[in-house]
Amino acid sequence: MILNTDSTKPIYIQIAEWLEVEILNGNFKEDERVYSQYQLADMFTINPATAAKGLNLLAEEHIVYKRRGLGMFVSPNAKQAILTKRRKQILEQMIKELVIEAKRLDVDEAELIEMIKNVRKEGEEEQL
Amino acid sequence: MSVIQCQNVTRSYGKLKAIDNLSFAIEENKLTGLIGRNGAGKTTLLKLLAGYLKPTSGEIEVFSQKPFNNLEGSSKTMFVNDTMTFPDSFTLIDILSEVAPFYANWNSNLAKGLLDYFSINPKQPHSKLSKGSKSTFNSILGIASRCPLTIFDEPTSGMDSAVRKDFYKALLKDYLEYPRSIILSSHLINEVEGILEDILLLNQGVKSLHLPVLELKKFAIGLRGNAQVIQRFVEGKELIYQEEFAKGYLYVVLRSELIQPELKLVRQSGLDVLSISTDDLCIYLTAKSRGGIDYVFKRS
Repeated sequence: MILNTDSTKPIYIQIAEWLEVEILNGNFKEDERVYSQYQLADMFTINPATAAKGLNLLAEEHIVYKRRGLGMFVSPNAKQAILTKRRKQILEQMIKELVIEAKRLDVDEAELIEMIKNVRKEGEEEQL
Repeated sequence: MSVIQCQNVTRSYGKLKAIDNLSFAIEENKLTGLIGRNGAGKTTLLKLLAGYLKPTSGEIEVFSQKPFNNLEGSSKTMFVNDTMTFPDSFTLIDILSEVAPFYANWNSNLAKGLLDYFSINPKQPHSKLSKGSKSTFNSILGIASRCPLTIFDEPTSGMDSAVRKDFYKALLKDYLEYPRSIILSSHLINEVEGILEDILLLNQGVKSLHLPVLELKKFAIGLRGNAQVIQRFVEGKELIYQEEFAKGYLYVVLRSELIQPELKLVRQSGLDVLSISTDDLCIYLTAKSRGGIDYVFKRS
């Protein structure tokens, strides 16, 4: 992954989100050790303090847990925690923006739902 | 522990105060970025820290000693800038072997490895190098010296963008392996922001701010929208920047803490709330007039 340094999204959040995707994709299993702050610093060419803040963010959200002297490990219910959080934060935010934009463009509720259904259908067809 | 302590330091050239009553401290093993515009006093400050210049007034301590004319200090300090000169009869490889005994932690393999990686022929004299290769070679000296205090003054000027990226990677990798105090000056904050822990922003010889990069991201907030609505919220508050980007529409930047409690109300009033990139924040904080370049064109 390449970090987007122009983005207004802080780098430590980008690091945390990248680790979340790694966990969701199963690249780290439950109770498996994740990258250390120094490994992350090296991988992404970032300051180790920034990497540590990304890891601490995940620890605060109980997605990883700390074992003294050993590093950070994936929590047993990490996947579920990430899914719940992302549904709540990201999806809800996107839907909010979608609703505002639809209103601006005079798209009514039925039409909007129809559009979502169509996109979902197209997505399913592509997968076939 | 503080590696550097500056207390009310001033350095004048004639009437001009290049550094003006500056106080700050830098902790051990931090990677600090010294950011500022052309002529902000970056090089003067670094020369003061490296002991090349004596302050006009005020106290500087590096490793608890005054750096000026201090041999012990200079063996612990490496100052990389583009005016480094070496005898013409020396090839690069000669320079590396002559420099080695002076620095206790010198890593000769690293120096040679980097020289090889950047495809610089070690058998040529320093003066024959192109501008970019000179910067690269000087920076290699800086990294390989592994000095407890390593100072880079605009190290990447003249380097092409591939070399720049590799230089920052090399610097960070060696810093992770062998932590030490590093100061990196640059006017291109975008380039260095990621690897820094702290930022010291200089503006016309005065400290604008000295903060962890992570806090800088949250330091200021932008509001954009109807001028009257904005005025209502920011009246009496100090603005970092303001711009009328269209008739009746304002864009203002202010410290986050000044507006944080009212943020929900601000959003409900239909104003856009924007986060400010570190780069933009530094530009706003060091702008000579609060209206930006547009102001010049409006007057003329």
